[in-house]
Amino acid sequence: MTKTLIINGETVSIDVDESMPLLWFLRDRLEFTGTKFGCGSGLCGACTVHLNGQAIRACVTPVGSLADQSITTIEGLSDNGDHPLQKAWLDNRVPQCGYCQAGQIMNAASLLSQNTQPSDQDIEMAMQGNICRCGTYQRIKKAIRDAADELAKEA
Amino acid sequence: MSNLTRRSFLKSATAGTSGLMLGITIPASALAKDKPFKQDEFNPNAFIHLTEDGKTTIYCGRCEMGQGISTALPAAVADEMEADWEQVTVLQAEGNEDKYGPQATGGSASIRLMYIPMREAGAKAKFMLEAAAAKTWDTDIKNCYAKKHFVFLKNSDKKLSFGELASLAATMPAPENPKLKEKSDYAYIGKDLKRHDQDDVVVGKRTYGVDTKLPGLKYAAIVHCPVLDGKLKSVDKSAALAIKGVSDVVEIERLDVPYGSLGGVAVVADNSWTAQQGVKALKVEWDAGKNGIYDTKTYKQQLIANVEKPAQVMDARGDATTGLKNAKNTHSATYTGGHLSHSPMEPNASVVWVQDDSCEVWASTQSPADIQKVLGQFLKRKPKDIKVNVMMAGGAFGRKFKCDYVHEAAAISQQVKAPVQLIWSREEDMRTGYYHSTSAQHLQAGFDDEGNVDSWLQRVAFPSINSLFDKSVKRAPKGATKDVFNHPFGIENMQVESGEALAHTRIGWYRAVYAIFYGFAFSSFADELAHKAGMDPFEFLNKLYDNNTNPKQAEQIERSKAVLALAADKSGYHQRDKLPKGQAIGLAVHYSFNSYVAMAVHVDVDGDNIKVLNVDCAVDCGQILNTDGATAQMEGAVVMGMSLSLYTEIVFRDGQVVNSNFHNYPVLRINEMPNVRVHLIDSDKEPTGLGEPGVSPFPPALTNAIFAATGKRYRDLPIKPISV
Repeated sequence: MTKTLIINGETVSIDVDESMPLLWFLRDRLEFTGTKFGCGSGLCGACTVHLNGQAIRACVTPVGSLADQSITTIEGLSDNGDHPLQKAWLDNRVPQCGYCQAGQIMNAASLLSQNTQPSDQDIEMAMQGNICRCGTYQRIKKAIRDAADELAKEA
Repeated sequence: MSNLTRRSFLKSATAGTSGLMLGITIPASALAKDKPFKQDEFNPNAFIHLTEDGKTTIYCGRCEMGQGISTALPAAVADEMEADWEQVTVLQAEGNEDKYGPQATGGSASIRLMYIPMREAGAKAKFMLEAAAAKTWDTDIKNCYAKKHFVFLKNSDKKLSFGELASLAATMPAPENPKLKEKSDYAYIGKDLKRHDQDDVVVGKRTYGVDTKLPGLKYAAIVHCPVLDGKLKSVDKSAALAIKGVSDVVEIERLDVPYGSLGGVAVVADNSWTAQQGVKALKVEWDAGKNGIYDTKTYKQQLIANVEKPAQVMDARGDATTGLKNAKNTHSATYTGGHLSHSPMEPNASVVWVQDDSCEVWASTQSPADIQKVLGQFLKRKPKDIKVNVMMAGGAFGRKFKCDYVHEAAAISQQVKAPVQLIWSREEDMRTGYYHSTSAQHLQAGFDDEGNVDSWLQRVAFPSINSLFDKSVKRAPKGATKDVFNHPFGIENMQVESGEALAHTRIGWYRAVYAIFYGFAFSSFADELAHKAGMDPFEFLNKLYDNNTNPKQAEQIERSKAVLALAADKSGYHQRDKLPKGQAIGLAVHYSFNSYVAMAVHVDVDGDNIKVLNVDCAVDCGQILNTDGATAQMEGAVVMGMSLSLYTEIVFRDGQVVNSNFHNYPVLRINEMPNVRVHLIDSDKEPTGLGEPGVSPFPPALTNAIFAATGKRYRDLPIKPISV
């Protein structure tokens, strides 16, 4: 029987070679192109998605290993692009080319789900796997702090 | 189940069917309202399209790669047009230089080239809208004025929306010389604007070259000949072809034009991953050819030797040789730098569909006209018959000016008779690029009796970009060394020499280009001379500028000194004696690409542990278009400057690049990000670009700071090379 997994709340058949990394299943099979290819080796973070809410690197995760698991991509992070991080990213005008930003946001969301009030050092530790060649790190840090403050207000 | 599958059809860049279409020199007769317009019937430079519902599309002809040009220039159009920016959609124009003006996006030139033409396009549109309103109200145009998507009748409550006026405006004659707005009236120019595309980015909807999907699309991966001018010796395709999903293996011959493929073998499959597996399964042997000897370690030693002896004189004033011989004091130093790979986060990617009677391209690119030219040559078709959809580039930094990857996709598409998406692996991107030159520079200076630097010899050696176009080029030509000779320090006896440096790999423009190593040498050496003279580096730099009495450089000197003073002030440089032990502030200032940038870098050094605390950047780029965009460019330039100061270097052995991915080509990460403060000078001068000028002051400001903190002088970049 074909294995399935859940992507952004919808059940999907794993109808490809099970060793195909999740990244290419998303991009080429499902044509969810928000998740980006950067290095193919888990070194840059551009392909970060959530597995049951926690950040993973889709480029090194075989899709067959995810049977019955729940995956969230940037397209499914919020209903209307209104996750506090997405709002903070816009308020701080973070993206330049924007290519790495889906991965940055997904990684930051995973951080905030575990640590609602991260220190600067916590942010640096959690986010150092995500490369931005345009150099938006200063704004990323600020946006994460702002989103954490916003979440604290909501709580 | 599986209803997630979707086809993202590409947005056509052709909007609407009627309304005002306006560019720089469009004859008004072409805008007749009842004639459904086809863009192709119009020419040229059609930047604005306004429809009857008021929707306004502004086309950006320059390529977007994250530098923000597709916000800055269209906002200037909207400003002159009196359009409401909230009602404007920006679209990337396709490749068509007849229509949109020069599109090759590099050299920080977009704003310099297009600021006036695009404002004029906006001003013409406004005039035509006002003329349409005047006709409607049967009054003189002087009684009408446009504001925020409406035209108002003076001294009345009458107004007409842009949408209501669109059809009639299209019949109005375009003015020859439209009046541009005064600075005090700007609504968007010089303001703090959000990029038009950030909303899409944060939800994953911004599409890049790598994201193009078409019905029937095939996916390709490639391995290149790892050595310039090498050849394919043999390839065993059987294991690759045995993989389920692999349909073809295509050999691509080296196309010996500057932006053609190095030559390689591509595997075509029904998805990218399978194609990559296919490439891994190929058994390929290459004949390295004469460049198989290239070894950057020995090459750099050779460059050093070539600058530490007399070389070819490129420019001279006064007599530096005698000046140095008679000098009271002299100082000399040699500086080096390594090859750099641009490594944008989006590797080279494009989709090309070659058919018998058409060829269409979707590519992240900095130069659509070069794609048209190269594919035209390759396919033996007219450049204008190659349709290029310019996609958002996920970073470029000079790399995507060259279209070797597009040529390859075309070669594959031609062979497999289908649209093909070729995405380079990170390894191929890093190993078979167009690299920033490795370099060596030797400087000698002599002081006169009053302690002024009156003689300066600078010998440079680096493989030249010109070698791409002419393989006989053996040294940097005058076009590449003139920036040294024209540097605004006031030196009486100046000599610039160019040492031999034959290229063994492809050399390409990298963000800031020559300014990277020239800026490093000038600002480092000036700092060394200040210490030699026992002077405060800030005072010493000012003295170097003040000694320049050439009236043609007076403005350059004034503006250089102003940014230097601003960066120093903001950083607390003048109070630096109060800093704790191990901390210091270094200064550098460099003029490049018609812009002025000074940086003050505040470091905390403990042994080998170099921490950059603050960077104060002072910028004079004339009239700023978007203050947020200018600030972002400087923040990014600091990050790139810091990466290349500390870590990034491409190493060749046996003709091949040894680095392969971000583990052995480490770039700056968030944990080392300093606090960057950008100080923009409010200026009315002609606007210039900022994509590149921020990179060059960082490395010398950093090494000058480290010297001030520790007494250790770093003259070789990167200062923490990784062993690969």
